[in-house]
Parts: sequence; structure tokens; C-alpha cells
Amino acid sequence: MSLNPTAQSMGPRPHLNPYLAGVLLGLVLLASFLTLGVGLGASAGIARAAASIQSCFMPQHVADSPYFGAWGQDPLRYYLVFMFAGTLLGGLVSAIASRRIQLQIERGPTASRTRRIALAVTGGVLAGFASRLASGCTSGQGLTGGAMLASGSLLFLAAMFAGGYAVAWFVRRQWL
Amino acid sequence: MIATLFGHDALGTGAAFALSLLIGFGFGFALEQAGFGSSRRLAGIFYFRDMTVLKVMFTAMVTAMLGLQLALSLGIVTADQIYFLPSVYGAQIVGGLIFGVGFVLSSWCPGTAAVGLASGRVDALIFLGGAAAGSALFNELYGIITPLYTWGDSGIRFAWQALGMSAPVFGLIFSSVAVAAFWGAEWIERKTAGTGSYLGTPFLQAFSAAILAAALAVALLPPAPPAGAAASADAPAETRMLEGIEAGADHIEPEELADRLMAGDPTLILVDIRTPGEFKAFHIRGAVNVAAPDLPAFLEPHKNRGTIVLYSNGMTHPAQVRDALARMGFSNAYLLTDGLQGFLNTVLKPASLRSAPLPETQAAQVNAWRAFFGSDAPAAPPGTVAPADVPPLVETIWLQDHLERADLRIIDLRPQPAYNSGHIPGSVRMDPEHFRGSIGGVSSMLLPADMIARHLGLLGITPQTTVILVPSDKLHDATLAAIALERAGHIRFAILDGGWEQWAAENRPVDTRLPSIEATDYPAASNADRFTVDYRTVLAHSQSRTAILLDVRPTDFFSGAKSDEARPGHIPGAINRPLTLDLSTNHAVVRFKPQAELADAYARLIPSKDSPLVVSCRTGHQASQTYFVLRHLLGYRRIQYYDAGWSEWASRPELPIETGTQ
Repeated sequence: MSLNPTAQSMGPRPHLNPYLAGVLLGLVLLASFLTLGVGLGASAGIARAAASIQSCFMPQHVADSPYFGAWGQDPLRYYLVFMFAGTLLGGLVSAIASRRIQLQIERGPTASRTRRIALAVTGGVLAGFASRLASGCTSGQGLTGGAMLASGSLLFLAAMFAGGYAVAWFVRRQWL
Repeated sequence: MIATLFGHDALGTGAAFALSLLIGFGFGFALEQAGFGSSRRLAGIFYFRDMTVLKVMFTAMVTAMLGLQLALSLGIVTADQIYFLPSVYGAQIVGGLIFGVGFVLSSWCPGTAAVGLASGRVDALIFLGGAAAGSALFNELYGIITPLYTWGDSGIRFAWQALGMSAPVFGLIFSSVAVAAFWGAEWIERKTAGTGSYLGTPFLQAFSAAILAAALAVALLPPAPPAGAAASADAPAETRMLEGIEAGADHIEPEELADRLMAGDPTLILVDIRTPGEFKAFHIRGAVNVAAPDLPAFLEPHKNRGTIVLYSNGMTHPAQVRDALARMGFSNAYLLTDGLQGFLNTVLKPASLRSAPLPETQAAQVNAWRAFFGSDAPAAPPGTVAPADVPPLVETIWLQDHLERADLRIIDLRPQPAYNSGHIPGSVRMDPEHFRGSIGGVSSMLLPADMIARHLGLLGITPQTTVILVPSDKLHDATLAAIALERAGHIRFAILDGGWEQWAAENRPVDTRLPSIEATDYPAASNADRFTVDYRTVLAHSQSRTAILLDVRPTDFFSGAKSDEARPGHIPGAINRPLTLDLSTNHAVVRFKPQAELADAYARLIPSKDSPLVVSCRTGHQASQTYFVLRHLLGYRRIQYYDAGWSEWASRPELPIETGTQ
């Protein structure tokens, strides 16, 4: 870690100490509990965006469907949609400040672009589906429910790591 | 004490959206600072190379957990102000497994992918597209997958509860595990990647000590309700549940009460504070009937020992009594959420009649409750009637299955020729306008209760009859009839969801014969109507802004752009929500919009379910629909009905008016 301004301006700044980053994240979650009365969430924003996009092409189908339909005509009028937008914005400001913005497909030294893209989209579909099934993702169930010590949320976290470690070996070429 | 937006039912407001944006900003900033804008870094944990995910997540969880426990202990916030996530074990475990696979394949999760996208990662954008598609896939499969989605739904459950310990003690263990995990993670990094740069450093030592000290301090604080400790000495698990979940809260959920009563919990005192007559007609098994003034003396032996639960039909009265008791030093008095009405709906309503199908275990639970509490319910004596055992909207399939039910009367509200050419078997026809007339020079007023009662008698209805109202596509015909029933004191009614059009579209049985009806002598209840108000009350509200005035006419008439009355415009201070906004039409079938959507829309107009409000329109016909939506579908408690409406207001030149939209 150099304090020399010229050295700093050249590359990205180092990451924050993970424990301090964790405290910061925990304080944001606590602020959410004490003001909104609910925890953090990200996957609901994505799902509502999906409902909104699908509505542009098949409005009647979405309105009649039991899950998306229950969100009404404007699924984007929901606090978690705004939270997701805030997450993008906060990430952007932090990435700019830390000079970490770089257009790239991140992958391991021996992984092909195609392989990385195929895995990212497959993982995305699974994560999107599973986050609806479990009513939350790493943030909505894991962090939020974990901090509440909710039984089901802690089991979600355990199952998430179990599922992850179970298949990690098979896709190791992506990163190693 | 903090009142959260969730506690105010205000998560659908602009303020909540702005605050969510701000909190999201902090969330994204923290994630990016942790380095989670990189999928490589996120994947590291699965190969034991970079354990940042564990360090950040565990630290965040412990920080927020200790902060929340501290806030609850100090009474900065009460448990009812926080939305605690329910545990749906099956869905969460299966969902967690699938999510974990998705996480390792993509090396992203929803929140981090947002930050990854902001950092220019193309793979994050691709992940987000996949996640949107996965969400849409879930929506498509929802019908098939519902049993899994609700599998193991156990309500709000905490890990410390399951282990039979208190929240702060579990929190201390959880914090210790976190500290051990941090050292383990650093050690692993050092072995596999030669990093682990914090292992054994003064920083990690100090940080670990700080976490443990904070957890210990929180554990040593006295718990929020002073009564909790006294009760835990001999109380069974159910009481401990109460202490924890409801710590600092003043209410108890009907399910919990039911479970504890069934378990024969000796520490529980259930007090019915209604009149002896009401108590005699029906009460929850195990309750004692004590008048409010006698309560302090009666409850003295139970002061701060065990759990005292108060209930009445609603919540206002028990809440006032509870507060009075609390001021006298009773820290262990609670009120039953939603009162007797809530208990009937959540505990005693048969599983088959619920709006959403219950999973098998829950249905079995409901049956057990019904067997236990139902056996003590005597047939109501005349004059006192238990609420209907049907929801405010019944499905066509339910009606067809129950056509033979002797205590059911179906009222067809369509025009005579339509009825004559085919109606639901056994139904009688009634013109909704027959419930109205000219009173004191004001036209289209709801008739007095005794005249409505006479009509009901002629239709063969008794106070025990469950009336099913069948409208055409004009839902407000059914709601007008419903409000007339309410004025006469008849509380057992429901509207057929989708009305006649839905019934006909599904080719359900139709008859042209007249039903055989034996007229009855319906006892009129002159004091049942506590909701109708006249222009004087409305004027007072308008001048002193003591109630929300909700005008449900079309916006053109509200603004005064169009007028078919003496004067154009609206009552000063009124707000406008046209009744049609509450409806959706699909192939000529008109029904109410999904409850969640209605709840959301009205939450934006009305601050709380206890806010006083007055609904009105031109003659009271359309306003009856909004009244039904707010009162029966959404549970607003303080709604008044300005029956005479704009038709009268405009014709009284002394009353002030306003034009335009707000």
C-alpha cells in the first residue's frame, strides 16, 4: 500500500480490509433494519425487472400469471427495485473512486470466453430461479436472514455452500 | 423508539423508495469496496484460494445481528417494527442448493453482479440476463412448483429457539464461530495461496476481541421485557418463543395462542373483555370473561408472571386496556392480533375455504385446531351470530360444491329478464335498487335497517344464513347489497368472485325454475350501522382535516370538468381514486384486482389501516365498492360511508366546494 500519489494514480486502489468492509456492510444492513424495517435484497429487483420486460411483449400473459401477476401493473414500483438501482449506483461510485472499472469478461487463464459465458448464463438462470423459490438470494436470505438468526435462512446459507462446493470441482477450469 | 416504514405499512411510498435507493447505494458501495465487483474473487472461496466472501459476509452478519439485538434490548426498536423472514424449510434448502450451484457456475450472485456490472464486467451482465430468465421460468412453472415453494412453511422461526437458548446466548456462540472462522480462513489462505495476510496480526487479534466483547456485552444486557425472565423459569418452549419473537411487542399471533392453549400452557391467562352476552354466544376455548374495570384485581396474582392475553372482537379496545394495565405495572399483558375476528380467520377457518391452498402439514394443523376449539363453540343464540365461515369473495367452484347447503342463500342481482332466462340453481333475484329510496328529500339513500330486514325476510334469509351475492359485470351492485346487509346487521355474506359471467363462462349448472322460499321474520338490528355518516360529519372532517375524504367518482366528475349535478367539483380536501381502478376485466368477467396490488395502491393513499376515512361518490352506489375493498378485502378499520354523496352536497348551496384535481 503506497501513499505516493503518482503510484496510486496508475492502477486500481487496493481493496478495503475485508473485515472493515464487512463491518461497513453490516452497518448498512442494520440501517436498513432500523429505518425501512426490512433487510437488504437484490434478486427481487431482477425478478421485477424480468416481469416488467416480459409485460412489454405479452402483457396479458404476465397479468394472468399467478406469480408475476400478483405484482400488479407496475412491478417496478417496489422498494427493492429502487434498492437494486442504488446498488448499481453505489457500486459504480465505489468502482470509479477506486479506479477498478474495466470492460472485460473475467475468467481464468485457461478458460475460453465461450465457456465462461455459457457458465455465467447457466448459473444466472439457476440463481434467478432458486432465488424466487427460496424468496431471496445471498443478500435477501443469506445476509438478512442470517443476521436475524432465522432458522430457514441459516439453512439456506448452509445449503448454498453445500451446493456450491459439490459442483466446484467440475468447473474448476473456469478459474484455476 | 424507532417507527420503521415497514411498521407503518409504508414500504410502497415515495419516501421508502428514496430511502431504499440510498441504502442500496451503501450496499453497492460496501460490496465494491470488499472487491465483490470481481467474479474471480467471489469464486475464490469455492477453491479455498481467497476466503474474502466468508470474511465479509460473516462480519456483516455478526455486525448487523449484534446491532439489531442491542436495538431490541434497549427498546430502540420493537420486534413488530421489523419484518422477520419466515422459515420455509423445504423451499429454502432446495432453493439454497440450486442457488449454490448457480453461484459457483457463474461466480456471481444478484447483488454482487450489480456491482460487477457497474465495474464493467460483461460476465455480470450475462449473469443478470440469465437470472431474469430464471425468474421468468419460475413464474411459468409456479403452478407446478407451488407445493415445493410452500414446503415446510413454518412461519417465523429462529435458530436459538430451535436449540432452546436465548437469542443473545446464541448470538455469542455465533460470534465465536465467526471469529474461529476468520482465523481458519486466514490459515487456509496461507496454506493454499501463500496469502492470509491477517493471520495472527495485531489487527485480527483486536478485531476478534472486539467482536467477542460486543457479543458478550449484548448477552449481558437485560432482555427487553422485564417479565420475560420471570416467566422463563417454568414456562414450556412456547413461552420462550413468545419472549423472543415478541420481545417488546404487545401482541400475540392467533396461531401461537392456539398452539399454547392446545398444549395446556399453565402460564397463559386468556381474557375475553367483551360483554357477558357475547362471551356466552361464543368465546375461545379456555378464555375467562372479565369486564375491563375488574381486570386489575382479577389479574393481580398473574402480575408479571406468565402471559396475559386480552381479546375482543377487534383490537382497539384490548389495546387500550393493555396500555392501562401496562401503566399499572403489568409488563406481561398482550393483545391478540386482529382480535376474535383474526382468530376465526387464521385458526378456525376450514383449510378448504382459504384463499390459498395450504400445504398438508398446515392443513392438518388447522384441522387439529378446529377439533380442539370448534367443540366448544355452541350454536349462537338468536341475535348473536358468528361471522361467516366463508371469505369475502368465494370462488365459483366452491359455490357449486355447496349449492345444497341449507344455510346458503344466493341472491342474483342481474336484471329480471336475465335471471328468468337462466340463473344459478336455487338463487333468488333481487334488484339492488330495492335496498334504496328517497329519505327526507334526499334520493338514493340506503333504506332504514328495518325495511332492509323486511326484504331479507321475504327472501327467506335469517341471521344464520350465509348470503352469496351474484352480480353481473357491475360489481358495485353486489357491494351495494352487501352494505345494505351490513346496515341490517347481517354479517354473513360473500360476493361470488367473477360474478355471473364467470359462472356462465365455466358452463356451470343453470336453472330457470323458481326456488321455493319460505319467508322469515328477519330481526332488524337498528344499531348495526356505525359507518354511515351525513354531510355534517363530512363537513367537520373537511374543515378540520380529521379524516381522509375519498371520492371514488370518475376523475372528470371529481375535477368538475363534467357535471350532472347542481354544482361541479368535489368536497374540499377530498382525494380521488375512481372505483374502476380497483377492477380488472378479462373477457367480460370483472373482478377485483389482486389483493396485493390493491393493498399497495391504497397504502400510498392512506397512511395506516387505522386512519379515519370517508368514502363517497355521487349516490353511494360506487362508494359501496371502495368500502367493500377497504373494509373486507384489505382490513381497513375506520371507514365511514357518506351515503348521500355529491348528489346531496352539490344541492346544498351552503356547503363549500372545490374544483380541479390536487
